[in-house]
Amino acid sequence: MAIGQVGPQDKKGLDFELNLIPFIDLLSVCICFLLITAVWIQVGTLNTKQAVGGQSQAETEKKATLKVAFQKNGDLLIEAKDSRLPAKLASIKISNESGKVNLANLDQALEQIRAADPAVSTALFHPMAGSVYEEIMDVMDRFKKKGLINLGMNPL
Amino acid sequence: MLKKSIVKMSAFKSSIASSSVLNPKDGMRSKGGAAGLLLTALIDAFSILVIFLLMNFSTTGDILFIEKGMELPKASQAELVEVSPIIKVDNGELFLDGQLTSANDMTAGLINLRKKWQEAHTESEPLNALTIQADRRVTYEVLNQVVVAAAQAGFSDLKFAALIK
Repeated sequence: MAIGQVGPQDKKGLDFELNLIPFIDLLSVCICFLLITAVWIQVGTLNTKQAVGGQSQAETEKKATLKVAFQKNGDLLIEAKDSRLPAKLASIKISNESGKVNLANLDQALEQIRAADPAVSTALFHPMAGSVYEEIMDVMDRFKKKGLINLGMNPL
Repeated sequence: MLKKSIVKMSAFKSSIASSSVLNPKDGMRSKGGAAGLLLTALIDAFSILVIFLLMNFSTTGDILFIEKGMELPKASQAELVEVSPIIKVDNGELFLDGQLTSANDMTAGLINLRKKWQEAHTESEPLNALTIQADRRVTYEVLNQVVVAAAQAGFSDLKFAALIK
């Protein structure tokens, strides 16, 4: 393999030049492989549980729970159960914003709830037949983000 | 031998040789017609690209296949996809692990899937999770069929597929 050139005065030449072409070839192949096999869309799952189960009510452990009801025109009604929340936070209605759920107000309400009672970590969702899946997911995502990690989905 | 090599005859004048402190050959660059290519910068750029792509490389593979026209909702709190039966809701039709099914047959299909799973994995935990893949625009009326069937078949965990924000 020809290593490189050292000029006419070979014996005195001290500089040494690597042949970089194989490195470039190797890196090009690596880049092509990685670009072809790369997954550009990251898909995950938002994990919830069934709100209705086979366990009887007597056996169910009493935990602070929020009931989230989707109402007409994007209104949300959040009601607390078995929690130490003050009366004004135990039942909150979040009015819609041009027909959709007002996510900014929802964030504020959840922050207040978590600050008043950090033990609240469960929320049960009661969507309506006409509730749009994207809105339900947006709302559940906000709940998880605020630390309410145990989410339950109620059938109609 | 090196003096006669093809590389020596055809290579561009070396930029290192011409800028050498110990054995300067300043004249080489000016006399040569072609400028010496600096490949080091190119290799640096390639290396950065390779590192970036390696960091984003996913080894989990594609568990969910998203068909053309289907738009998943977005979620920032989405977790990694795990292997579980997948129910796809596409244009009002329900698919259980890729096979067209109806709301009435879904419970039986899920129970069968569960039996097969338990036969194949005798020592592992029972199958309780179900992945639901649906377009972001569908209403809960459609999804409710899946939620009810899952409850009847004993699937307690519902995993809603979403694009990670």
